[in-house]
Amino acid sequence: MVKIPTKVLLVDDEKDFVEMLSLRLQEAGEKVHTAYSGKECLDTLKKTGIDVIILDIKMPGMDGMETLGEIKKRFPLVEVILLTGHGSTETAVEGMKLGAFDYLMKPADFEELTAKLLGARKRKDEQEERIRLAEAKLLMRKSGGAF
Amino acid sequence: MRMENISLLLVDDENDFRQTVAKRLIKRGMNVRQASSGQECLDSIAKDPVDVVVLDVKMPGMDGIETLHRIKEMHPEIEVIFVTGHACAQDGVEGIKTGAFDYLCKPIELEHLISKIRQAFDKRIREREKQKEKDFRAKMEQQMIATERLASLGTLAAGVAHEINNPLAIIREAAGWMKSILQKDELASMPRKGDFEKALGKIEAGVERVRRITHQLLGSVKQTDSTISEVNLKELLNETVALHQKEADDKDLKIIQEMGSGSGIIWTDPYKLRQVLINIINNAVHATDSGGRITATIETFDDDVAIRITDTGRGIPREHLEKIFEPFFSTKPPGEGTGLGLFVSRSIMNKLGGEINVESRLGQGTGFCIKLPKHPHVKSDLDKK
Repeated sequence: MVKIPTKVLLVDDEKDFVEMLSLRLQEAGEKVHTAYSGKECLDTLKKTGIDVIILDIKMPGMDGMETLGEIKKRFPLVEVILLTGHGSTETAVEGMKLGAFDYLMKPADFEELTAKLLGARKRKDEQEERIRLAEAKLLMRKSGGAF
Repeated sequence: MRMENISLLLVDDENDFRQTVAKRLIKRGMNVRQASSGQECLDSIAKDPVDVVVLDVKMPGMDGIETLHRIKEMHPEIEVIFVTGHACAQDGVEGIKTGAFDYLCKPIELEHLISKIRQAFDKRIREREKQKEKDFRAKMEQQMIATERLASLGTLAAGVAHEINNPLAIIREAAGWMKSILQKDELASMPRKGDFEKALGKIEAGVERVRRITHQLLGSVKQTDSTISEVNLKELLNETVALHQKEADDKDLKIIQEMGSGSGIIWTDPYKLRQVLINIINNAVHATDSGGRITATIETFDDDVAIRITDTGRGIPREHLEKIFEPFFSTKPPGEGTGLGLFVSRSIMNKLGGEINVESRLGQGTGFCIKLPKHPHVKSDLDKK
């Protein structure tokens, strides 16, 4: 079976980390975009269709939680996996309450990361599928009324 | 003040005089011993010290001043009242310079003597209390130094851990990337591929080891997002035991829970407390050989709650008992234990306003007791900020 690549946006201010993880994810067959700040992340989202964002919580300037808030406000269907470098799960759990799909502690286990990526992608696909069906139903009802 | 608390030694070579005074002091309820010479006085004190000595200056053999010197050498805390011949204030002054409490001139008026004895005794009690307070303060200071040392060590360690985590993530991803490249078809026949894979495996295992250390260190000091909530200890303990049940079953260990009669509900940080319980139960499971027993009990008191985890394991040698709460102390082989579990547990317990204590006997087992207040002291939290 040919794998359909997930469009991943990797956001972290640690450039070497972003480079290495993105190469690794690409090697695993994903399509990876990168951003080094919250602002850059939002800019990329405007231009590019993204399935899942891997977002570092701790960044200078606009931090991960703030970025998460903006993402969920402007691109609610995009799934977010939080990366925490603190070992502080509390912030991550807060993030999940704000709509993040899940979190991972840095340095993250790659198997775990890919499993969560898959889960996030699946949730997004299912949600989009539901929306499509609902829209189709709506269209049918409308056209049904017209006749 | 009650006279019977005073133990007194009366020293005078004039037997009649000494016995008369002694009789009258005993009548007042004092505990009076007698000595007829300086040497006898010293012998008596050496056997059993007294509170106050009433000492005649003029005695054959060892005189009063000399005796006073020797008393103060042996027992500087004993108060000495000098008795001098009439119009011999000179001797009295000499005595005070040597360390006597005061002096009286013969002939002695009994009431006067009693009030002096009383004053001397008062002074001793004050000195004793001062000493007690000093000891207590020294102990407290020592404890505070130890706590502060550990706290600052913890903060430093967490800072280092945090800084290490980022480059560590880079190493891990780089190694992982190389590994996935090696698995590509194009490299199927690469020379010495096995060597590369072996080295990458070592890098990954090393990263995992460092990761475990940094995460435990970070867990120990993170205090900003502590969440205090109502916690049902019985449920929490149950959950935590369940986490270890499989490992215990594999080793044929029984974990017994005794919940006690209290409600088991307190206000604390459930995540932190769970971490402590996990650390302790984990240690118990590791330290107990198959067929053993681990007992977890909850005891409820007026203001606090005690959770006791006792095992029938190998026990902790005495020389290790003092060190087990220190960071990086571990008896497990390198790579298996971080040596941080109990260190972290203790700093968590301190933060939660509780304490953690250990009792152990070699070959019989170990018991950890954690005590927590039912309600955290909110005030101390505010003080910190």
